[in-house]
Amino acid sequence: MKSKPHVFLTCRLYIVLLLFILLLAPALPVDAGEPLDNAYLVELINKGAQAKLASEREWHLLLHYRENLFGGYTSEADDPQFFLSPIGRTDPHAELESTIRSLFSEEPVGSSKQPAQCSFIARYHWLKDRLGIDETKLPAIHCERFDQWFTEMNADSITLIFASAFLDNPASMFGHTFLRADQKGQTEQTRLLAYTINYAADVPSDVGPWYPIKGIFGGFKGYFSTPPYYLKVQEYRDIENRDIWEYRLNFTEHQVSRLLEHAWELGNTYFDYFFFKENCSYHILSLLEYADPTLHLTDRFHVWTVPADTVRLVAAQPGLVKGSMYRPSRRTTIQRKRERLAVKEHRLFVDITEHFGSIKQETFVRLPIQRQAFILDVTSDYLRYRSETDKSHSSVYKEQNRAVLAARSALRIPSEDVKIDPFSKQPDLGHGTSRASVGAGWRNNDTFEELSIRAGYHDLLDPEIGHTQDAQVEIASLSLRQYNRADQTRVERASLVNILSLSPMDALFHGPSWKVNVGMNTIRFGSCQLCSNGVLNGGIGAAVESHWLKREVVFAFGEAEANYSRAYEEDHRVGGGGTVGLLTDLTDRWKLMASGTYLRYALGDKSDDFRWFVGQRYTLSQNWALRLEYNHRDHDNDVMFSVQAYF
Amino acid sequence: MRKGLIVALVISAFIGAQVGLVLAGGVADTGPGCGLGKEMWKNESNTDTIGKQLLISTTNNPFFIPLQAGGITSGTWGCKNNGKLWTEQKVTMFAQLNFENLSQEMAQGQGEHLASLASLMGVPAEHQGEFFAMTQERYTTLVKAGEASPVAMVKAINDAIATHPVLAQVSTR
Repeated sequence: MKSKPHVFLTCRLYIVLLLFILLLAPALPVDAGEPLDNAYLVELINKGAQAKLASEREWHLLLHYRENLFGGYTSEADDPQFFLSPIGRTDPHAELESTIRSLFSEEPVGSSKQPAQCSFIARYHWLKDRLGIDETKLPAIHCERFDQWFTEMNADSITLIFASAFLDNPASMFGHTFLRADQKGQTEQTRLLAYTINYAADVPSDVGPWYPIKGIFGGFKGYFSTPPYYLKVQEYRDIENRDIWEYRLNFTEHQVSRLLEHAWELGNTYFDYFFFKENCSYHILSLLEYADPTLHLTDRFHVWTVPADTVRLVAAQPGLVKGSMYRPSRRTTIQRKRERLAVKEHRLFVDITEHFGSIKQETFVRLPIQRQAFILDVTSDYLRYRSETDKSHSSVYKEQNRAVLAARSALRIPSEDVKIDPFSKQPDLGHGTSRASVGAGWRNNDTFEELSIRAGYHDLLDPEIGHTQDAQVEIASLSLRQYNRADQTRVERASLVNILSLSPMDALFHGPSWKVNVGMNTIRFGSCQLCSNGVLNGGIGAAVESHWLKREVVFAFGEAEANYSRAYEEDHRVGGGGTVGLLTDLTDRWKLMASGTYLRYALGDKSDDFRWFVGQRYTLSQNWALRLEYNHRDHDNDVMFSVQAYF
Repeated sequence: MRKGLIVALVISAFIGAQVGLVLAGGVADTGPGCGLGKEMWKNESNTDTIGKQLLISTTNNPFFIPLQAGGITSGTWGCKNNGKLWTEQKVTMFAQLNFENLSQEMAQGQGEHLASLASLMGVPAEHQGEFFAMTQERYTTLVKAGEASPVAMVKAINDAIATHPVLAQVSTR
């Protein structure tokens, strides 16, 4: 509904722009400034026109042109300085001609103020190749700044890096991707020194409360940058506790150079940042496309570009990925190392995290030196984790860590390499982001068929391979139901956001679990058999993990809820209550969730609600699953069986 | 894709209050080259604070090693005509920004940050083991120096390399 005025506005805007351009066009000097008597320039321009270079895919990739509604082209780059023609943003031909013209000049162009051959070095090299530019007629300019940068990057291969989802920061809920330019002669150990190529929005620090809106609608500028990998590892692994996956790409030396040259050009510009589509992952794909123009990656994304989807797409290209590597977050490292501690050792570990003096205990001193080292190492990991997650006591943990490390250094043996396995497998094995399902079932005395669609991303019962454990993020879902006896088709459920984050707690980890749900469902209430009901629900709670069978997570929430429906007196009710539940893997493919909720509504229609839910999922393959769900509310029973496909 | 667009618009209108962005601070006007490096470590004794500030500013601030945009005038970054100085700055910068990881790995006698530091300081890969043992042995002294300033820590390591029977011979810097 909302898109109508939007589309209308856009069309109007286009028409106005077109008129404006038409009015301006005759007035634009075609050969501003440059002498046209340079025969070689004219020759090159003609050659470019004959070869139809302006219509070639590579030219479009270089300038980031996208075909628009009227069959013309508009570049996604938003900085006027990225174009050498004043109408270059919408005219590939004019831009090509102006570019060829600029190659003859040493006049500084672009936001970096260098000669065109240097500012737009990828364009120059491409034209040089396609037009067969003769250096005696058009001398090459020495690009010292580029050369220094290129030498410093010292790249010999490219790795795609995926930092997994992080629910506690909405901006990171879907993960993040960037590239790493692996250097010649580096080992796995010194990868940290490589530079990365990262694209992110530039959000000013005094941005104010409207920044999410601006972020979604392109209100910020996005820039490319090249921080060293060690800073990114620190940010994701050490500070935000996110697992990192690295995909080594199979690019030739020539393709690596093309990628870097184009990245250099993009350092010259900005793009309006759109959180859902033209985000980090989208622009990273566009770099890969220029490196190897036979790849078609960005075309696959129209409305949103989910980082994990881009990873799956890249991994699915034949021969593109030659290997992947896992870099565990600090939290994962601690969890995995704990599993290797005997009960007695674990007690010592917890003791030392609380009182450093515990290392003098007889039981500790008598352990073999390798075990002492191992315990001190995991203690240090944990104290560092605490100093990042409990900022107000950061200095206390740091001091304690110093003492632990001093004791550790006195042991004089190197720590053994411990292989840390991830808790969830690599993202390219995960199910697709969007989901469609077909189901049928019974509700009270009626039977129904149901069709559902969900834009993204993952719920607690979806196959968890490749997704962050215990993290549900559902965005935009809609279910339509046909009730056979009532002969009624209706919107059964809809959800705008439904987020649920479970963080199992124990002696060492204390993070809260939380949830937010905004949507509607269909209820039976009072005299109304099928009534739409708006839901706004939020809660905070705790979870505990156990391993009796495979893995179980038990959780409890305190929550508040507001409902809006014609079924209620005064059309609404507001109240609070709680939920307890269990999430468990019965086998690798079979998962079960059960929960019970009690809510008492004190405002509006004074009533209460007791409901419970049992759901099961069976995974058929990466993108197919079966579900059986039972929902119960007061005199309202609903059973549904469905087949779900992810895409 | 109209439908997708509608969905996207509705969602975005709705969850606006929650969705954020990949946060990034302002775009730097200067690169990290020698100039900035000098400013950064000039008169700095409180490494912890400055390190933290720097870390925050650099993780939020993407232009650590700049691409070409911004007001980076030619020659102020990368220490033009002075590769040695730039190499030294890189060591100091690395030591400062990775102080916590480095202290941990020095105490543990191995690790990728320590291996990276060794490589930046010109210790050949086959002699990493000696380097690790040396930093573990001198852990307390080195960390104390590092708490004063990254420059002091790097100097302490360099001095230790210079007096080490093997490392002094094989180190290339």
